[in-house]
Amino acid sequence: MLREALVSALIGLVLLLAAPFLFDDIYTLTVLTIYGLLALSLGFVWGFGGILCFGQAAFFGLGAYGFAIASINFADPWIAALVSLIIPALFAAALGAMLFYGRLSDVYLAVVTLVVTLILFKFMNSTAGSAYKIGNARLGGYNGIPGFDTLTLPWDSSEYLINEYLYYFCALILLLAYLGLRWLLTAPFGRILVGIRENELRAELVGYDVRLIKTLAFAIGGMLAGLSGMLFANWAEIVTPALFSLSQSAEIIIWVIVGGAGSLLGPIVGAFVLGALKFFLGQQTLVNNLFVLGSILVVTVLFLPRGIVPTLTPFFKRRRRRSRTAGGGERGGRNARRRLRHAR
Amino acid sequence: MDATPGGGFVMRADAILETRAVTMRFGGVTALENVDFRLENDELRCLIGPNGAGKSTFFKCLTGLLTPSEGSIYLQGEDCTGIHPHAVARRGVGIKTQVPSVMNTLTAHENIWLSARQSQSSREANRTTEEVLERLALQDIANDEVATLAHGKRQLVELGIVMAGRPSLVLLDEPAAGLTGEEVERMIAVIRELNRDAALVIVEHDMHFVRSIAQTVTVFHQGRVLTEAPVEEVMADPAVRDVYLGKRA
Repeated sequence: MLREALVSALIGLVLLLAAPFLFDDIYTLTVLTIYGLLALSLGFVWGFGGILCFGQAAFFGLGAYGFAIASINFADPWIAALVSLIIPALFAAALGAMLFYGRLSDVYLAVVTLVVTLILFKFMNSTAGSAYKIGNARLGGYNGIPGFDTLTLPWDSSEYLINEYLYYFCALILLLAYLGLRWLLTAPFGRILVGIRENELRAELVGYDVRLIKTLAFAIGGMLAGLSGMLFANWAEIVTPALFSLSQSAEIIIWVIVGGAGSLLGPIVGAFVLGALKFFLGQQTLVNNLFVLGSILVVTVLFLPRGIVPTLTPFFKRRRRRSRTAGGGERGGRNARRRLRHAR
Repeated sequence: MDATPGGGFVMRADAILETRAVTMRFGGVTALENVDFRLENDELRCLIGPNGAGKSTFFKCLTGLLTPSEGSIYLQGEDCTGIHPHAVARRGVGIKTQVPSVMNTLTAHENIWLSARQSQSSREANRTTEEVLERLALQDIANDEVATLAHGKRQLVELGIVMAGRPSLVLLDEPAAGLTGEEVERMIAVIRELNRDAALVIVEHDMHFVRSIAQTVTVFHQGRVLTEAPVEEVMADPAVRDVYLGKRA
């Protein structure tokens, strides 16, 4: 397991370090990395916890707004970064506790999370008046909050974390989040979470407090989405109510479906591929952007129902196993079986 | 449970389970009515009765999946009426449901390990899992996804899940259903072995199976306890035959 994790970390590190040399546009690459983290947060909650949250954008937006407001009110933007993690995590924990202790079924859960996002969207849009301010930060209504201090280099507070610096920072956070979740899923908490996804009743009947475990998983997902919101605020240097919009919520779900729920890599791949496609399509007027994204979703659901990564993974694993068995005999086969078991 | 001079009730120490006047209503339908049931610490009791007699509803009340409309449930002397299912399980109650309730895309090993891990350290849970797999002769399919297994094997995996939790009270809902003759024999042996450390309540229709394992049988009919007696006495009881086969004209 340790070897696999190290190999994953190394491959991830190489890819993320090499990406700026392969793609010129560091600005777009940075936001794709942020989207990757956002998709990963839903991938964890949905793919491993079985919780279909239609409101991941709410935590994303809260992280972004939390950072902007705290940055205006506190001198140190790193304190603002900490605040932007705590607010969405607490909000997700409170919302999750209400949903799971209230025994809401999956459909109602999806509806409630969507409605919460839309309430935040409506509310933020209606905060244009001067009365809507937190400390020194005016919420700004439709126009959002511009002009807040973004993150600076830890060793030089006069130097802002922008361009390559911001990209590498986002890439590092994404890598750490991926490895952290991988570790969590092999730890007892993660294995129990998967067990709950498979059969909630059975998990309860052997003594697990399903409500508590799901609330914790939901809060972790909310915190990661908030973290991506904080990074987005640093990238865009403005936060607006659009972060809470219906299209933002839907887009996250599409990334996860196309990339593949049930794997950690899938949502990241989905976000990178579809995010890049969206930017590319945004530069032309021949085909409607939403039409193409919608078509990709339909084609994926019909022909790759498990998503890109889970569909391709067994193919690569079979090839690896064949080459190992040819060289390693019985030991190779046993290790391959073990790898397959842990791949989930 | 005995009456005290003050009018309250005190559990006798040797009862692992006692229900008093448990009634369960669903709207206008009464599924259980004034069920008094008592199980000693090392007892193995079978519950029989026709479909709709209330046996499964009774199990659901015992495990916290349903809260009785009236009455009380005591586990080892403690009133556990209406507590959450996970809290009931943590008080040492394990249940094997009528339709195998397992984690389908996980392996048999993972299913059993998750149950063991609830109350044990990871290392201890690994050991328990290996022991349970061996006792149920499931080593060959330990790494198979449960969804791919035949019904009989799934039943055994679910029993393994129950065993791994080291319960003091085991509820088995039709454990012999869908098993081959060989698997039934294994099940009987496992149940006897389980009974060394735990009290058992078993719902079963197969009277040959009941005769093989139980000394005392409780008969449910229309949500009530019809009779409670040694197995041979129950078999010979005309009222029980009437309940099962319909009253002769």
